[in-house]
Amino acid sequence: MPGQSAKLERRELAVLLHGQVDSLQSWSAQWNARRVISHLAVIVAGAGLYGAAVGWWRDPLQALYTAIKFPLIILLTASGNALLNGMLAPLLGLNIPFRQSFLAILMSFTIAAAILGSFAPIVAFLVWNSPPMSANAWDSAGPYAFILLTFVLVIAFAGIAANFRLLQLLQRLGGRTDIAARVLFVWLAGNLFFGTQLSWILRPFIGSPGLPVQFLRADAFKGNFYETIFHTAVQLFTFH
Amino acid sequence: MNETNPTPPPFPPQIPPIAPPPVTPRAPGENPEDRLPITSPITAIEAILRQPRRVMYQLRQPGAGALMFYLMAIAIVCALIYGVIVGTFSLKEQLWIAPVKVAGGMLVSALICLPSLYIFACLSGSQARLAEIFGLVMGMLMLTTILLIGFAPVAWLFSQSTNSINWMGTLHLIFWLIASLFGLRFLNAAFSYSHAKSNAGFNTWVVIFMLVVVQMTTALRPIVGTSPTFFPKDKKFFLSYWAECLREGAEKTWPDTTR
Repeated sequence: MPGQSAKLERRELAVLLHGQVDSLQSWSAQWNARRVISHLAVIVAGAGLYGAAVGWWRDPLQALYTAIKFPLIILLTASGNALLNGMLAPLLGLNIPFRQSFLAILMSFTIAAAILGSFAPIVAFLVWNSPPMSANAWDSAGPYAFILLTFVLVIAFAGIAANFRLLQLLQRLGGRTDIAARVLFVWLAGNLFFGTQLSWILRPFIGSPGLPVQFLRADAFKGNFYETIFHTAVQLFTFH
Repeated sequence: MNETNPTPPPFPPQIPPIAPPPVTPRAPGENPEDRLPITSPITAIEAILRQPRRVMYQLRQPGAGALMFYLMAIAIVCALIYGVIVGTFSLKEQLWIAPVKVAGGMLVSALICLPSLYIFACLSGSQARLAEIFGLVMGMLMLTTILLIGFAPVAWLFSQSTNSINWMGTLHLIFWLIASLFGLRFLNAAFSYSHAKSNAGFNTWVVIFMLVVVQMTTALRPIVGTSPTFFPKDKKFFLSYWAECLREGAEKTWPDTTR
């Protein structure tokens, strides 16, 4: 029954957001295809809506592109690092199967996506109230900075809330706070490292007014985020 | 008669707190699960990740040859797979040269350092036999290489999005260092369970092993980039080679990819 299913999904989402550790522990212990699909649906919808709101300021087409790219980053990060995260957990003292580590991370991403989705209308309202992006970058500098700051703050809040829930789950699974914190730190470091480079490849999310609206930049696979930061720092300190 | 009424002390006598018994890690084999034989490569991977003491215990048992073979075979296969990922940076012939160099280099480095580890183990009072130490080194290599497989998706993504050999070389080196840290931790745990009185010998060996591996990357260069010959024509120490690479990298102009 579709109505019942939707109701069940809403209840499950509430359980996730409440961080009911008993439920989260039992969910992570077994592979339930329906539940995994519902989590994926929340990620696609939540992060997609937020992405659409972010890209809307530049162009409706950019909104569509960013709506595709935001969930893609989350899903590629979760799957690309799944094997590594699954191996690191037992090595750091948290003896959980690969499936459980993957599901735990997926649940935390689901929480983050749900939070992002809930902020999408607010961000859309903010964008609607902002002056349109000008071809002269200097004219848009103020609104651009404000909108960018808002985006980052919302993403930071979603990330912190999701990881707090993940920490609670890891504490329950491992029985010890230090082990849970260690595993969370290593998972976070790995996901941040990989996710940052994915975001770099999948840029632009808003896009410069002087450049065309594109799904990927022509030089998407030329250079990487860390290399560019390093190079910028070198230029800054050597005054080139 | 002077009856003395002893006055009670102002404070009740202090009861010394009961110190918790020292937590000593259980030796391999004390847990019944450690005694379960390892009969397949998949079980070996599971065991080294989740029950490393099971591997340590099984390596001490008679007929541990099959387990040693599994450990070595998995280490070679995983190193070959990671080598293919390393080769995707330059493609073409590096797709077979890099796997051969990565797997061969790791194996040869381990075999070069094996006798010295045995000597250090004996000097430290360890009861481990040479065969057991060989198995433990293979276990270390296996754990290192399966962790490298975990890093493979990240390494592949970066290899497709940069043209800098220096950057990719550094990244592979960082991944190898992290993976080796876990591999060496396994070896250290096994060393301490073998009745070794001191870890000084083991720590010295770790430094030697790391130096041998980094020198091996220079002796087998190039692994990430390309060259007309399989082996380099001139011999270099790794520090001078790295300094040379960094100088060359700094002289190059970098494309503007900030937009």
